[in-house]
Amino acid sequence: MKKPANRFEWMIALRFLLRGRAQTLLIVLGIAVGVAVQFFLSALISGLQVSLIDNTIGAAPHLLALPADRLPAGAFMGGGAERRDSGRVLIDERTEIQSWQTYVDDLRRDRRVLRASPVANGQGFIERGGAVIAVIVKGLVAPDGLDIYKIREKTVAGAPELASDTALLGQRIAERLTLAVGDKFVLRNDRGGRLVMRVGAVFDLGAAAGNDLLAAPMDQVRSFFAIGGVSAVEAQVRDVFAAEEVARDHGRQYARVKLESWQERNRQLLTGLRSQSTSSVTIQFFVIVSISLAIASVLGIAAVQKQRQLGILKAMGTSDRSASRIFVIQGLLLGGIGSLLGLGLGLLMGWGFVAGTDAAFGLEISARTLLTPIALALAAAVTASTIPARKAAALSPIEVIRNG
Amino acid sequence: MADAVLRTRALCKTYFGKVDTPVLHDVSIEIARGGFTALIGPSGSGKSTLLNCLGLLDPPTSGEIEFDGRLIRERNVNDLAAFRNGNVGFIFQFHYLLPEFNALENVLLPCWIGGGRPAAETRREAQRIMERIGLGAFRDKAVYELSGGQQQRVSIARALVNRPKVIFADEPTGNLDRESGQAVLALMAELNRESNITLVMVTHDREVALQADHIYELVDGRICRTLDVGRSGREAAARELEDRSCTFKQ
Repeated sequence: MKKPANRFEWMIALRFLLRGRAQTLLIVLGIAVGVAVQFFLSALISGLQVSLIDNTIGAAPHLLALPADRLPAGAFMGGGAERRDSGRVLIDERTEIQSWQTYVDDLRRDRRVLRASPVANGQGFIERGGAVIAVIVKGLVAPDGLDIYKIREKTVAGAPELASDTALLGQRIAERLTLAVGDKFVLRNDRGGRLVMRVGAVFDLGAAAGNDLLAAPMDQVRSFFAIGGVSAVEAQVRDVFAAEEVARDHGRQYARVKLESWQERNRQLLTGLRSQSTSSVTIQFFVIVSISLAIASVLGIAAVQKQRQLGILKAMGTSDRSASRIFVIQGLLLGGIGSLLGLGLGLLMGWGFVAGTDAAFGLEISARTLLTPIALALAAAVTASTIPARKAAALSPIEVIRNG
Repeated sequence: MADAVLRTRALCKTYFGKVDTPVLHDVSIEIARGGFTALIGPSGSGKSTLLNCLGLLDPPTSGEIEFDGRLIRERNVNDLAAFRNGNVGFIFQFHYLLPEFNALENVLLPCWIGGGRPAAETRREAQRIMERIGLGAFRDKAVYELSGGQQQRVSIARALVNRPKVIFADEPTGNLDRESGQAVLALMAELNRESNITLVMVTHDREVALQADHIYELVDGRICRTLDVGRSGREAAARELEDRSCTFKQ
């Protein structure tokens, strides 16, 4: 059985590196800069993506089950696929979903789905002191309905509870109409309906559209807008990028509703995110290539420089495998020290970026952004070191001794 | 020879290349256990090649080597390396010390190779050897700070530390001034007598060879003369060496 790398090999590798201090320092710095750039870019792009995703869909449903409006019933029937609901689309169901409970239950049973809830939507007007503004009315069911829009989390005043005749208002509406918690106002619909409501809470969702919302209990909204079923079933998934797949999987089972993911509704954002990821991976790829080439070249030169030492070590009994491991260990040491240093440098760059700019997003530091550059640098270092390692293994001690 | 630590039978060595170069032809010799054997001959006679074959550094093209009763059939370089580590010590014309290590660390390298970090007892033994060869005060010195003679003595200590069965020395004084060279030779002869370690030395210096117990003279890759100095005495051996018309033993 072959012996594992022992302390002798580590000792020789370390001494070889320490002997050529300047050379070692340069290559370690090279790796460190590469890892720092990789870490910084990856954390920056992840941060930007998280921020974009959070702003766009953080406080919104990731997928919607919508009524089969505007589309002929036949379009949803498909050919031969097994359906969990009837293929016949009723006239009513072209604008609202009657059997919504089935869809909510089905979605909730899916482990990929974090929460699912029905929603009744309407367009309303609020009157107050002569001012009239249009609002989007959402009839929600607690807790999932509130949590999809992060209303409880983003409440800035009052208690975010759904109760009859109580409205949870977006901050923009509250500001424009100078409404505070406890104030009463009149909500009207386009059919002349009128409802006196009290402000239960004010929330700030950040995005302008979110702050034009008025949330109220679903049943009250349904009766106010004369909706027999619900307007949609909304859901959030654990992994936002899995929304399209979840929508596709569930969409195949239903004929009377269509499922739409946030990706379908935000094609441009998705393309932007994918482009960022691709450019990030491309940059990282070239950084890794340059690190590998640098290590291969430095260790390749070292293998030639240390021929005499390797020759005598082999004459004294060092095996080919052991001689090659000395270089692999050097690669590991260079990669390890360089990547740790690079991580420190990357964190420093990140700190400088956050402190020195007023970017609306920060760095996304996760196990992935931290460990990926280290793992890649180590893998590159070890791979690159195989070239000098092979040279060392192939070196014949007698050649060195005969040639002085 | 009754007690030979090394025997060769019909050893041949050819270096293959664009032009094949035969270096050794049918060399059959015996090296007495615990003795001092000198290999002499003019430049290019094949004495260093023979030494490297005997030391299992360079595999012969044909023929047999028997080392301490074991016929060396092994062709696996790693197994041969392990065998060398436990049985053989080398001293070369150039000291081949590693500048990355101090004198004591260089001496201990064969122990590291063989079994990892040397035990305290091994370290003490290495220090004792260094004291014995007059390097006690230099053990922590960087090897490049030592004189040529001191460096060669470090390589002698390195060859001794694993208590090998045979030490192979290839012109160990060739790179030293006369005074240092003589001191190194005297030391090696003393160590050979004290420790009973077999010493095989390549030299072109007949004066040096006359300190050995046995002398093999090579010309053109063949043994042309064998002298048993112990039996014939140094003066007779010296006279015989004066005769430069060495012919091949058939």
